[in-house]
Amino acid sequence: MAEISEANDSDSSELQDNGSEAPQRPESEPDFDPKLMRKTKPGLKRLVLTFSVLFSFLLGFPFLWKSVEIYRSPLPFREIDSLSTQLRSDNLLFPLHFHALFVGFDHDPDHLRRSILLEITKLTSQNPKCSNSYTLSVNVDLGSHCLHSPVSSPHSSSYPCGSVTATDFVQNDDVAVDERLVSVFGGKTKEYIVAVVKGGSERAVVGKHRHAWMVVGGGRKVEVAAVKVAELLVKLFINGGREEGSIRNEFMPVGADGKIVLSFNLLNADPLDWVYDWDFEKIDDTLLAPMIEALGPVANISVESQVLYHTPKASFSFWNQKLESYVFSTKDLPFFVNSNEWHLDTSIAAGGRSNILQFAVYVPSAKECPLLLQLPNGEISKTNGFISPMWGGVIVWNPQGCLNDSEFEPSAKNIIPIQDLENMFEVFIGQFRQLFGFKSVNVYAGASGDWNLLPSERGFTEWELDVLSRQHTCFNLHSCATTLVSLSRLVQSLPRMIIMDDIGKQVKFSLEAAKLALSNASSGAYESSAAASSQARSLAEDAFFHPSIMSVSYYSFEHCFAVYSPFFLPVSMHVVLAALRELRRYKQEKAKYLVWKAKANTSS
Amino acid sequence: MAFLRRPLLLLLLVTHQFLQLWIASGSVNEEGQKQEEFYEELLLKPLPDRKVLTHFHFQSSAPPSTSNGRHHHLFPKAISQLVQKFRVKEMELSFTQGRWNYESWGGFDSIPSSNAKPPGVELWAVFDVPQHLIDALWKNLTHTLSGLFCASINFLESSTSYSAPEWSFPPALGNLRYGTLPREAVCTENLTPWMKLLPCRDKAGISMLLDRPSIYRGFYHSQRLHLTSTGFSSEGMDLGIILEQTLTVVLQPNIQRASLARTSEKHIQPSWSLSSIFGKEVNGKCVLAETSNVYLLLDRSLVAELKQLHKENEKSAEIVLTSENFWTNSNFELSAKPDRIFIEESSLLSKNSSILYKFEIEKYSEFKPFDLGLTWKIPVGWMCQQAPLHASRFLMGSGNERGAIAISLISTQPSEGSMGANFDGERCELRVDVFQVVPWYVKVYFHSLQVFVDQQPKAVSDIIGTIHVSPSKDKVSPGVMELALKLPCNVSSAALTIEFDKGFLHIDEYPPDANQGFDIPSAIVSFPNFHASMVFLENDYLNKSPLLSKFQEKSPVMSYTEVLLVPLTTPDFSMPYNVITITCTVFALYFGSLLNALRRRVAEEERFLKEKAAKKTGRIPLLLSKLSAKLRGRRPEPPHPPPGSSSLVNSKLVLKVVLVAGLAVCWQYYIS
Repeated sequence: MAEISEANDSDSSELQDNGSEAPQRPESEPDFDPKLMRKTKPGLKRLVLTFSVLFSFLLGFPFLWKSVEIYRSPLPFREIDSLSTQLRSDNLLFPLHFHALFVGFDHDPDHLRRSILLEITKLTSQNPKCSNSYTLSVNVDLGSHCLHSPVSSPHSSSYPCGSVTATDFVQNDDVAVDERLVSVFGGKTKEYIVAVVKGGSERAVVGKHRHAWMVVGGGRKVEVAAVKVAELLVKLFINGGREEGSIRNEFMPVGADGKIVLSFNLLNADPLDWVYDWDFEKIDDTLLAPMIEALGPVANISVESQVLYHTPKASFSFWNQKLESYVFSTKDLPFFVNSNEWHLDTSIAAGGRSNILQFAVYVPSAKECPLLLQLPNGEISKTNGFISPMWGGVIVWNPQGCLNDSEFEPSAKNIIPIQDLENMFEVFIGQFRQLFGFKSVNVYAGASGDWNLLPSERGFTEWELDVLSRQHTCFNLHSCATTLVSLSRLVQSLPRMIIMDDIGKQVKFSLEAAKLALSNASSGAYESSAAASSQARSLAEDAFFHPSIMSVSYYSFEHCFAVYSPFFLPVSMHVVLAALRELRRYKQEKAKYLVWKAKANTSS
Repeated sequence: MAFLRRPLLLLLLVTHQFLQLWIASGSVNEEGQKQEEFYEELLLKPLPDRKVLTHFHFQSSAPPSTSNGRHHHLFPKAISQLVQKFRVKEMELSFTQGRWNYESWGGFDSIPSSNAKPPGVELWAVFDVPQHLIDALWKNLTHTLSGLFCASINFLESSTSYSAPEWSFPPALGNLRYGTLPREAVCTENLTPWMKLLPCRDKAGISMLLDRPSIYRGFYHSQRLHLTSTGFSSEGMDLGIILEQTLTVVLQPNIQRASLARTSEKHIQPSWSLSSIFGKEVNGKCVLAETSNVYLLLDRSLVAELKQLHKENEKSAEIVLTSENFWTNSNFELSAKPDRIFIEESSLLSKNSSILYKFEIEKYSEFKPFDLGLTWKIPVGWMCQQAPLHASRFLMGSGNERGAIAISLISTQPSEGSMGANFDGERCELRVDVFQVVPWYVKVYFHSLQVFVDQQPKAVSDIIGTIHVSPSKDKVSPGVMELALKLPCNVSSAALTIEFDKGFLHIDEYPPDANQGFDIPSAIVSFPNFHASMVFLENDYLNKSPLLSKFQEKSPVMSYTEVLLVPLTTPDFSMPYNVITITCTVFALYFGSLLNALRRRVAEEERFLKEKAAKKTGRIPLLLSKLSAKLRGRRPEPPHPPPGSSSLVNSKLVLKVVLVAGLAVCWQYYIS
């Protein structure tokens, strides 16, 4: 207030003397033009005032900006990018150790090693996602002493010389040979061992553990064996016997939280004809439990079962006179699963983001029994079942009664014979293996010859589990990186999206877990690396699907503008205009003063 | 009234034991292991107001087993997993459309007292966990059920929408949560998932009758799911579950033209058949069901009426209704021959007993479908048995500020004092429990509770035996009021009133249709001394029929009142923005004028004006000054600067006034 009055006073006085002078001027100074010059210095007060208001306004803007700013937890964008580029460019390296043992040959181990390595590099296709670094040691057992290559390898030196002889492989029982190899090498070693033995009948067998052996006939050259060994190492031990491109290699039917729910359904197409029940609990204990235990490191599997009724299939089958049965051809398979009538519910118990694999046993009605599935080449499917990747598998089971339309008691409650049930579940386990990308047959037909694969009673052999766990890690890390990259892209594209601290933390922990998984993978700790990678993936998914992202996804700039513009538009107009006017006036007045001063100087 | 005072404990014990016995008597397979079972039953009952009650009753049970929740043969896996996951001891979920007409459809039987439900969704659940975990489980349960039944049950998640009754809600066991959604629209999308829980769905058996258009055309339908888990051990491993699914539909049979034509039989009850009310027939039983029966129930009073009609003729009615040719007697005719007839054990309440005809679906097939028809031959009129008091509830007061809720109880007995028939000096009391939940924005003043008995105000402490009140907390919990009224037996009417203030909601809390009003859920009025039960003879059959054993259970008589609609003050929803805009404008004006005042140079302006005036004395000011001078009667002054300034200001002022007036005129003109 005081300032204002003071300003008024000073200004008025300034003007007063202007005014008082004005009438006298024409007489005293004839060339003084009040429009062009003035005698006093122009006042600065108003200029300072308006500019201080303007500056305080400008200073206030950052505060306002801060106050309307929404909370965004800082996300480590750079680290996310570096993780994804790291995963994309330099491949994940899983170290593998191979050990080839040649019994009954007297060749130079270095030469053998070189030829095997050459073959391996020939066979290794560049897997874009994950690859392996391998070391190979070759051991030639001459009975009395051994030849190592490389000499200082820690892996080959552990093998006690002469403990494996050609006589071990004479017997025809492959399981016994496998056990013998386990006892020699110890079941716990992480290295993959292939024994090449000179002997009588040719055989090539891959065991249940991490061993394989081949018996080579006397006249065969060792180079042929080397080719076959290389193929074994690359195609089976590294790739798990999968063909490239059959099912996408990186695909795993494991949920984001590392869980799989196996939901078994017995579908009675028409209970008016017959009703079948099963003794699932028994099968669960005997057949499924060992497999679930074996897959423990890769996925947490739970099993459910139910029996459904009135569940016809969605498409028709045709009577085939020659086969005396109804035939359902492959091209109709997409229409077999009747999603309207098959209430294969998602599980309440599972919840979250676990993956559900549905396995259905379809018991056809009397109108379409026996029902057979026909392959595209016209043959009848041996398993009478099919799989659908990501979804699960279906088996058609024809009840005994309908085959020999004998005196069949309709609509009585029957139990599926335990023998049939066991066969069925063997097929299911095969289907389950297929869903993981493995073969369901016991022979691997390679380019250089066949390998017999010893099936494990647990469904998956040890070397297959290794493949799975490597692949699981690889898949998890890539999916984690993809999720994080898309999250960071989303966050960057919506600058006014609220990001809670939770998300920031989850992203941070996910990145840490991913790094841990990477370092564990390169040091060869598969299990811990698989665990860390699945944790990384689930944290990344948690961050991406955080409910707060969904809720207030945009507190838009337009909204902010609409709320504040009624105040800031008129006020800022006033302030800016006032400042500009004062500035202009000051310049004008100053010019006048300067003119007068110059004149006064010249005159004096 | 002696039976009211009799100890009912014994009876309750008997029922309980019976239940256990029934549970234990499930069929046993070769290994001695109990199997999952399924029963389907349908009860038909003619109602006095020319309507038909159809009551579907499906029951699935899973015996105690370690594999419950994982491996199932008949029992729905989803329900079992739900029980396991949320440790549900007992749960009931009902979807209802329409209101049960207690006056004409009766209020005393087992059917209305356990199947008449408030409109919308009602859910209550008892959990087998410590108190502090219940709320979390309840929230998860509501979400799961909402997904399972395609309904907005998840709105019951918020703590403002559910309550924990202490004792007035019948299965009062503690650990109970109760919530209703009165405005939930019930339709086929809720029925379909409910049907999915049946092993035969609507493909076979009695459920084939469930024709969606006919059900939803009905006057009342209530779809209910009740589950009880038994033997919840502390580890929760071995538990059996009984799932009871009922669908109660009240339908109006199409009146056939032929019967209408005869004017003399105008008051005759409409004849109906299953195919005429549902448009479908039953093609045999669901093969998975243990039993598949259809029952036709004739009410006590209807039987009495028929007997009365018969007495006018010659024979004794008892014989006619139950003898060989009962199904084609002179009163009515059944189109199918019943397999069995049950006569109710005479209860203490009335001398009459109802009659139940049983039809076994097993005997019918696709080629011989079951279609029960009932044809009346003579006009009959009867009244269903009523609950002792008829409860209704309404709002009092007007305006958006305050109001009052009134619950009125009117005796259904025609003459006063008939309930207290044997009232001998001793004071006879009729106990009535009232359970009322009010949302927090209806702020009830519990001190304003008033009780009127026979229109006379009574002291609250005389009438109310026990009262439990949990006041509402704003935006946290609803208000709950539990009252136990002790009314004299010869009461003819009673009323409770309680006043409330209407609260204000935050703008975010209004539903999209805020102007429609807000619902106050139904109050539950129960009569704990009255039990609805129907005991039928032939005990060996009872073990096989869950519906009849349900009838035998002593369920307390209860009824639901109407849902109230309270209009609350609804704000102008654009108000916040308007407030922002106007405040900002005021601020901007203030700022602008302040700034102008600060940088104003008064003297300079005056000088400037003077110069201007000196240079160019406009014609109009000149004229005006002349005019004013003339008016004042002075000679026109030459426009001299110092005094002229006032006239100049004047002229400007006049101009401004004229301008404003013109604007106002224009404004007025355009506005009108």
